[in-house]
Amino acid sequence: MTVIKKPFFAFFFLVCAIPGSAFSMDAQTLIQGSVDYYRGNASEAVVAMTIHRPAWERTMTIQGWTRGQKDSVFTITAPPKDKGNGTLKKGTEMWSYNPKINRVIKLPPSMMSQAWMGSDFSNNDLAKSDTIIDDYTHEIAGVEEQGGKKIYTVKSIPKPEAPVVWGMQKLKIREDFIILSQEFFDEDRKLVKVMTGDDIVMMGGRLFPRLWKMRKAETTEEYTLLEYKELTFKEDLPDSLFTLTALRNVGR
Amino acid sequence: MSIEIKMAWRNIWRNTRRSILTISAIVFATVLLIFMLSWQFGSYETMINTAVKVHTGHVQVQARGYREQMEIPLVVSDPAVVKAALGRTEGVAAYSFRANAFSLISSKDRTYGALVIGIDPEGEMKVSTLKQLVRTGEYLSPGDNGQVLVGRLLAKNLRVDVGDELVLLGQGRDGSIAATVVLVKGIFSSGEDEFDRGSLHMPLAYFQEVYGMRGAVHEVVILGKALDDTAGIKLSLEKSLHGQGDNGDLAVLDWKEMMPGLVEAIKMDLLSGLIMYVVLIVVVAFSILNTFLMAIFERTKEFGVLMAIGTRPGRLTRLLLLESTGLTTIGIIVGVVAGALLTWHFQVRGIIIPDAGEWLRQFGLPERMYPQLSFLSISIGSGIVFIITVLTALYPAFRVRLLKPVEAMKAV
Amino acid sequence: MMIHIAWRNIWRNKRRTVVVLTAVVIGVWAMIIMGALMRGVADQFVRNGIATLTGHIQIHARGYREDPVIENSMTDPLEVEEALAAVLPGDARWCRRIRVNAIASNARHSSGLTLVGIEPEREKGISFVGEAVSGGRHLAPGDRDAIVVGKSLIEKFHTKLDYKLVLMSQDTDREIASRAFKIAGIYEAEMEATEKQFAFVAIEAARGMLKLRNAVSEYSVLFQNNEEADSAAGRLREILPADRYEVSTWKDLLPLVTAILRMYDWFIFLWFFIVFIAMGFGIVNTMLMAVFERIREFGLLKALGMKPRLIVREVLTETLFLLIIGLIVGNLCGLATVYWLSDRGIDLTAFSKGMEFAGMARIIFPIIEMKDLLSANVVVVVLGLLVSCYPAVKAARFTPVEAMART
Repeated sequence: MTVIKKPFFAFFFLVCAIPGSAFSMDAQTLIQGSVDYYRGNASEAVVAMTIHRPAWERTMTIQGWTRGQKDSVFTITAPPKDKGNGTLKKGTEMWSYNPKINRVIKLPPSMMSQAWMGSDFSNNDLAKSDTIIDDYTHEIAGVEEQGGKKIYTVKSIPKPEAPVVWGMQKLKIREDFIILSQEFFDEDRKLVKVMTGDDIVMMGGRLFPRLWKMRKAETTEEYTLLEYKELTFKEDLPDSLFTLTALRNVGR
Repeated sequence: MSIEIKMAWRNIWRNTRRSILTISAIVFATVLLIFMLSWQFGSYETMINTAVKVHTGHVQVQARGYREQMEIPLVVSDPAVVKAALGRTEGVAAYSFRANAFSLISSKDRTYGALVIGIDPEGEMKVSTLKQLVRTGEYLSPGDNGQVLVGRLLAKNLRVDVGDELVLLGQGRDGSIAATVVLVKGIFSSGEDEFDRGSLHMPLAYFQEVYGMRGAVHEVVILGKALDDTAGIKLSLEKSLHGQGDNGDLAVLDWKEMMPGLVEAIKMDLLSGLIMYVVLIVVVAFSILNTFLMAIFERTKEFGVLMAIGTRPGRLTRLLLLESTGLTTIGIIVGVVAGALLTWHFQVRGIIIPDAGEWLRQFGLPERMYPQLSFLSISIGSGIVFIITVLTALYPAFRVRLLKPVEAMKAV
Repeated sequence: MMIHIAWRNIWRNKRRTVVVLTAVVIGVWAMIIMGALMRGVADQFVRNGIATLTGHIQIHARGYREDPVIENSMTDPLEVEEALAAVLPGDARWCRRIRVNAIASNARHSSGLTLVGIEPEREKGISFVGEAVSGGRHLAPGDRDAIVVGKSLIEKFHTKLDYKLVLMSQDTDREIASRAFKIAGIYEAEMEATEKQFAFVAIEAARGMLKLRNAVSEYSVLFQNNEEADSAAGRLREILPADRYEVSTWKDLLPLVTAILRMYDWFIFLWFFIVFIAMGFGIVNTMLMAVFERIREFGLLKALGMKPRLIVREVLTETLFLLIIGLIVGNLCGLATVYWLSDRGIDLTAFSKGMEFAGMARIIFPIIEMKDLLSANVVVVVLGLLVSCYPAVKAARFTPVEAMART
């Protein structure tokens, strides 16, 4: 409960189409490029989320829409028990909707560090998903080659005043801006958790890691797996989709 | 020897006034110590029992690791097994089941996080004081469904009153989303801010439905017939629950493990009490020494005569020791009886410490405290007085040997 | 004349007098010592209470105490400060604070606490945090990203100086405000709970984070002594409109502490009484003995026509002398012991975990209060004279015949 998780889950609804023709580049461009690669005007996706624990495992299906870096809305479509539960994010504010009671609740600050839907992502991971560009300074720590493609290791150090809890992030980014892994360190530079992207396939007209896995550093038995089922990129989505009313209706 | 005993006894009653004074001093000391010790033990027992009745019970059965992590999937999946084991356990007065889930509590204006506790309204009455703590509205009844009891400060923070609606949003046992709308049926106030600010109670059956517990619970709260039964219950439960396949790994915890702070508080109170007892014993010892010495002074002439007619100092010492033993015995017997009666009187009626109510409530203690008469308090109390008097009697008894018959006889 | 006789009489049997004096001295000593220790504990409650960001008087916007959210701030500080300037004596101090509930997190831990924006210079001498910084440095005025936290919080979060803490709260628009601070200093408080509860930043940093322009959530005033609070609060209430401001004294803010104070008054008096009874046996005994050994003397006096009333007075005067000597020595011994303990205290550190549970401090320092000293002495004199009425009356009742009959 006290462990804080962060970014990138939200990348599955942050998408855009800037083709990645990359030569040698600096770290800032690389990060900016990969964020832009996933982010865009708008996107729509269907994801299966599996929460794995030593004693149990559970999977739910989520449908999500994103627009720009500020707005997103998503709703659970399966299992039937949870169907219709939704979350709306506007900026750093979040609302939660439950169809059974037909209520929208705004998450107070005290809940932001809690797990989102019991997963290894916290509400903060969603709310502050897009801050890596501005809140960190980046440098390239290494380059390697794999399958004919360059893979850059980027060390990202948070700026002193930035409201991020991490001491450092390490990202492995392929030259075509696909993020292969993202590691989160505390201030002692000890690994806290790690997210990996696997099974890079064509989705919605572009290469995309179909499997995302967020895992705690200490154990291999506790993780959350995101599996993209569908992904489409859009030019725009209507304002009306990112409202409290839409949050209620989107799951119906 | 027997003639000496007779002499000593006669001496005691030769000067009734003096003897009664000495005995009174001893009686007072005995009564005081017995009462103080009973009071102290009684307040510990009150403290423990109150805390136990607000929170933990004497013993709890939970899934191993639940106490530290409080994660909802860590359950006692088959309460019936524990129930059966409890049926075979001696010393159990009552037990009840609880389940907890940290949830988002939302009113019209506000949202806070708090612990939602599922209780069995009937069973809970036997193991906790929750029912008595309900100050506004009513306690839950067995048929209640979507009704809850809210802590006073939580209600204040949420700006709700009895009859208002609350929305609960949390996570169920299987990770699914648990949400419900409930009505505030009652507002409880334990006086303990943390409890009143951070918890909300609902009927267990409803909890199990909302949080998808599939009949499981988190805590089996057990109250022993007496505090002393705790260890026995724990041991016996550990034995009979060991390897009860279905429930996985169950832990049996006693109140000391669940409330380490309380144990520390008692230790510390004993320590600061010790300072007071030492000072008190010094004062009492001097008061008794004083009466003994005075008696000897007063009888200087008598001793002079006795020595002059050939009584050996050794015999005189023995005589005096016998006398003081007699006085002490009478004093302690009377003291124990009087002390026990006095303590018992307050044990039945209770004592209200003026102005302490608010403070005591903050630590979950009732305003009215009850001393607890026990073999321990009586034996320690009278034991201390006995040791003091014997020690103080030694001094005058041996001092008398230094008397010179001629001078002594001249004394007034 | 009678005084002279009484004085001589008590020294007729020196040994006896010394014994009874010892009893009185020890009794008085015990009263003073335990009284002072109990007073010390009670005083610690008061001082801790006042130093833990309470002060003698606090001023809030109406509604803040019921509902301490950032919207309930005072938006017109000037109005309050003019009132303060008009009412407070020159030696009183005051300071402004921002106080808001927040969530602190680092990479592995997160917990709720109270974020307090302070003016480091003004805060000195008003609340404990002015002098409590034991590691690193204290806040400097205008510090933008420095935070001072308690030692226990550092331990709980497994963090250290110069590490980051991200604070999150709600700003005035009810939006989430978050900001990273660097741990610049570590403070130690009497109680672990305090160390975990409060984190301090410069008031400007707090305002920046919460989008408060010049608003203040709390004014805290400290006087030279506790008693000045009531009248000053009264005058502040007259000046500041009651529909917008709430002026509270430490007694309103710390109802528990005031209850504890009254409870200890009662305990101390009870203690005096118990000690006196133990001591009383000695006094009665001694005076009885003194009376009985002079039975012939009293008989003779009566035979000569002395009034019984005068005999009673004579015996009581003797008692009074004994008591007074005992009191003087006892008071001196007690005061000397208290003086000896006053900078050592009685250390209960080994048990401090439990002490915090009871809301107490770690070391007890005895404190002498005039009213305790006075009541101890009055108890001894009044009750002492009362109990020696028995021997006195006894002496007055000896008939000459009875007296002469005794050897």
